[in-house]
Amino acid sequence: MEILKEKSSLRINEVLIGAGKDKGGTRTSAVTIGGENCLPFHLFEGEMPNPPKTAMEIWDMKPSDWPAALVKPFDDVMDSPAKWAKKCVEQYGAEIIALRLQSAHPDFGDAGADKCAAAVRSVLDSVGVPLVIFGCGNDEKDNMIMPKCSETAKGENCLMGNATQANYKTLTASCLADGHSIIGETPIDVNIQKQVNILVTEMGFDAKKIVMDPTTGGLGYGLEYTYSVMERIRSAALGGDSTLSMPFICRAGQESWRAKESKAGVSERPEWGDEAQRGPAWEIATGVPLLVAGADLLVVRHPESLAGLKGMIKHLMDKQE
Amino acid sequence: MKKERCHIKFLPEDKSVEVKSGTTILEAAHIAGVYINSACGGDHICGKCRVKIKKGHVNSPPTNLLSLSDIKSGYVLACQAQVTSDAVAEIPAEASPGQAKIVVDGKQPLYSRIEGMQSTEQLEKKLVFETSPLVRKIFLKLPQPDRQNNISDLERIYREIRKVDDIKIMQTGLKVIREIASLVRNSNWEITVTLGRRNGTTEVIQVEPGDTSSGNFGVAVDVGTTTVVASLVNLNTGEVLGAKGTYNKQISYGEDVISRIIYASEKTGLERLELAVVENINSLIESLASADNLKLSDITAVQCAGNTTMTHLLMGIMPDFIRRDPYVPAATCIPAIRAAEVGIRINPRGILSCVPGVASYVGGDVVAGVLASGMAESDELSLFIDMGTNGELVLGNREWFTCCACSAGPAFEGSGIKSGMRARNGAIEKIDIRKNLEPEFTVIGNVRPHGICGAGLLDLMGEMLARGIIDRAGQISRTSKNPRIRKGEAGFEYVLVWKKDSDGESDIAVTQSDIDNLIKAKAAIYAGAAIMLKRMNFSFDRVMHYYIGGAFGAHLDIEKAIRFGLLPDLKRDSFLYLGNSSLTGARQCLLSQEAREKVHRFARMMTSFELSIEPGYMEEYVAAFFLPHTDLTKFPTVKAESGAGVTG
Repeated sequence: MEILKEKSSLRINEVLIGAGKDKGGTRTSAVTIGGENCLPFHLFEGEMPNPPKTAMEIWDMKPSDWPAALVKPFDDVMDSPAKWAKKCVEQYGAEIIALRLQSAHPDFGDAGADKCAAAVRSVLDSVGVPLVIFGCGNDEKDNMIMPKCSETAKGENCLMGNATQANYKTLTASCLADGHSIIGETPIDVNIQKQVNILVTEMGFDAKKIVMDPTTGGLGYGLEYTYSVMERIRSAALGGDSTLSMPFICRAGQESWRAKESKAGVSERPEWGDEAQRGPAWEIATGVPLLVAGADLLVVRHPESLAGLKGMIKHLMDKQE
Repeated sequence: MKKERCHIKFLPEDKSVEVKSGTTILEAAHIAGVYINSACGGDHICGKCRVKIKKGHVNSPPTNLLSLSDIKSGYVLACQAQVTSDAVAEIPAEASPGQAKIVVDGKQPLYSRIEGMQSTEQLEKKLVFETSPLVRKIFLKLPQPDRQNNISDLERIYREIRKVDDIKIMQTGLKVIREIASLVRNSNWEITVTLGRRNGTTEVIQVEPGDTSSGNFGVAVDVGTTTVVASLVNLNTGEVLGAKGTYNKQISYGEDVISRIIYASEKTGLERLELAVVENINSLIESLASADNLKLSDITAVQCAGNTTMTHLLMGIMPDFIRRDPYVPAATCIPAIRAAEVGIRINPRGILSCVPGVASYVGGDVVAGVLASGMAESDELSLFIDMGTNGELVLGNREWFTCCACSAGPAFEGSGIKSGMRARNGAIEKIDIRKNLEPEFTVIGNVRPHGICGAGLLDLMGEMLARGIIDRAGQISRTSKNPRIRKGEAGFEYVLVWKKDSDGESDIAVTQSDIDNLIKAKAAIYAGAAIMLKRMNFSFDRVMHYYIGGAFGAHLDIEKAIRFGLLPDLKRDSFLYLGNSSLTGARQCLLSQEAREKVHRFARMMTSFELSIEPGYMEEYVAAFFLPHTDLTKFPTVKAESGAGVTG
C-alpha cells in the first residue's frame, strides 16, 4: 500500500537571525528558522531544511518570582545579563539568547531606555550567538525603550518582539530602520495573526522577516488551544496563504514555569515529587507538543529542558525510513 | 421647603405638568408628553437624558455619566433627578428628536454616487400586482324585490356584488345587518358596500346610502423601532397621495427592542408602549388626511409592517418571551382586525392588517422587504439586507428563502457613538479628509454641525483609512503629530469639528471605541451574510442581486460601504437600494390580494436560523474585524487601491 502524500503549495519563510561581520554585525553565529514545506516532522511528505531551534531566556534583572529550581542554575549570574547570557551559551549550550527587558515594566523597576539599551549592549558584547529581544510587555514602556534598544543592536539582525495588533507601529519602524526581524504576537487566533502580519507588512516591512508568536498556553493551561490554532495556521500557510507562511516562535518556558505543577515545592506537594525534576519535565512536556504543532523556535528557561528538547528535536528529525 | 405637588415646565417646548414631589424628570416628561431621549429607558446607564435645570431644585444623585462642567452648569440625568420644588427644565438639542429627515418612501430620490444603479421606480414596474385592495368600495343599484324575486336584502346585496366580482364566501356583521333593511329602502336601493378582506373571507364591513365609492383610502405604515412612517394611498387608483415619518414615541421607554420588551413586562408598560405607537400612527394619519382634505371615515384600511416586537406592541400582545430562550413570539401571523380595536382612528369599521413575520427576530418588515425587492420573482440568487437596528438578512430565490438576524446593533443609526446622531438637521453626512487631515463635510439642513449620522460615519471610516488616521484594524495612529489626532478622556480620537465650528458645547470627535463599535456592527452583518451563504453552500459571487433596505440604506454609499467591508465586493450594479422596503411592501399589500397572499407564502417559506449557535460564526466575525476584511482576496477591487494612503 502506498501512503497518500500531501503536497504543499507553499514553503514556510526562512528567517535568518543574527548577522556576522560580513553582514554588518558582530555575531559569530547565525541561525535560520523555517523553510519547511511539510507539516511538522512529516519528513515523508516534504523537508525541514532547518530543524526547530531553541533559545534560552534571560532577563535584564533578577526575577523575583522564579521558583528555586529555576533560579538554581543561574543563581550566580542573575545580577548581570551579560554573565547570565555567557553562562547559557558556554555552559548550557544555548544557540540563541532571548533577552527579556523586564526591568522596564512599571511594576518591575520602571527602567528607562538607556538602562535597557545598556543591557542589550552588554549581552551583545558578552556572547556571539544571535539575540531575540523582548520588551517588558507594557505597550507604553516598550514604545519608549525598544527604539533605543533596536538602535543599539543595529546591524545585528536581532529578532525583536512583540508587535501586537494594538501596538505594532513603533517596533516595526525601529526594526525597519535598524535591520531587525520582528515577532508578531496574537492571542491564539488565526484571523488576528493574519491581521497583525498584514498590518506590519503594510508599513513596508518585509513579510519574510516576520516570526509569529501565537501565544503559548502552558501544559494544562490551554496548550491544546494553542496547538490547534498553530495547526490551522500552518495548514493554511502550506495550502498557499502567504499572509500566514511565517515561522513560529513559542515561549514554552515562560508558560510552563507559571504552572503550579512546576513551581510548587516538594514540601507543599509531596505526592508530586521533587520539583528539581518536575519543573524541567513540565517545560519539556510543554515544548514537545509545540514542536509537533509547528514551533520553529522554542524559548526555554531551564538548562535541563534545553537539553531535553534539543534531544527530542534530534530524535524527531531522524529520517523515518 | 419640600412641596407635595411640583409644577414642572419643560423648555424649549414650553409644556408644563404638575407631579408629585419625588417624581423623576423623565417620568414628568412622559406625563407632560415631552420627548426626552433615553436610550436605556431610565436604567441610569446611557447618560443620554441629560437636561438642564434652569430654575428650582431637584435631588440628583452623583453620576459619572455627566462631566464636571455639565454638573456645574446645572445638568442632571432626567431618569435620576427627582423634583422637590417647582422647576424649569431645559431639554438640550441632542436629547430631543428634532426635525427628522426620515426616508419616508421607497420612491424618494435616493442618495448614491454609484452610476448605473437601478432606481426603485424601475424595480416597482417589475412588480405591479393586480389591484385588489385590502378594502374596496362598490356602488350597487339593487333590483327591487317582488314576489318572484324575494330573496333577503343581504342575499340581494351578495348577489349584486357577485355580478361585479365572483366572491364565493362573504360574511357580514350583525351591526350592519341590523341596519340594512331600512338603509336600502331609504336610499332608493342605491348603496355603496365596503368590502374588507379578512383572513381568507370577504366581509361586508359597511353599507352606505348612495354612491360613496370614491372615498376609499388606505394607509401603509412601517412601524420601525426608531421611526414610524406612513403613506396615504388612494385604494381605487393605487396612487400615493403623501407620506410622513416620525420618531417612534416608544424610544423614551428604551432605544432597542430588548429594553422595550423589558419595559413591556413592567406594570402598565405594555399599555404605555401600545398607546405610544398608536398615537404615532394616529397623528401621522391625521396629518396625511388633513393635507388632502380627507375625512378620517374615508380611510378604510391600514396595513402595517413591523418587526415582531413592534407588531406585538402595536397589538397589545406581551412580547416577553421573544427575548427568552428559545425566543418564541406569541404570534407571527396576526389576523386582520378592526383598526378601532387597538385605537387607530380611521373609519370605525376599517381594517388593520399586519404583514406576517417569520420568527422573533425576523419580522413582517423583513417579509415586506422581500416582497418589495422582487427577489421571489427570480430564479437568480438574491440577498436582501434590512439595515435597521439589527440587520436582518434573507437569502434565496423563487424557490426558497433562508433568513437570520445579525445583532449588529444601532451604531449605523448613530447610537452608541460619542458624536453619533440620527440623520436629521445638523448631522454630518458626507466627509472628505484632505492629506493634511483637514476634513471637508456637508451637513443636513446646511446648519452648524451637531454630530455625525450613519452615512457620515461610514464616510469617515473610509477617509480615515485612506489617510492613515486608522489602520486596517481600525486602530487610531498614536504617532501622528497632527492636532486633530489626540488622546481624549477615553483613548485616542480624531477631531472632525472643533468646538468653535460646531453648534454644541464641545468638539465633534470620533473615538477609538466608536470605531470599534462600527467595526463590530459591520463585522456582524458581513459575517452573518457569509455564514448564511456558507450554510447553503454558496459564496458571495453567486449572489446576483444584493438588495439593501431600511432607513440607513437610503443614505448608503455603496462604494464606501464596500471599502469598509460592510458589503461584499461584488459588481456594483448588483446592488440595489430599496429605501424603506418595509413601507413599499406594506403598500403593495394594501393594494393587492396577490401581494398579501405572497407575503403569507414568503413568511411560511422562510427558514430562520440562529446565527449565535451556528458553528463558525465567531470565526467569520473575527475575520471581518479588519478593513475591509482579514482575507483581502475577498475584496479584490479594494485591495487594488489600498496601500498608498497608509502613512503611519
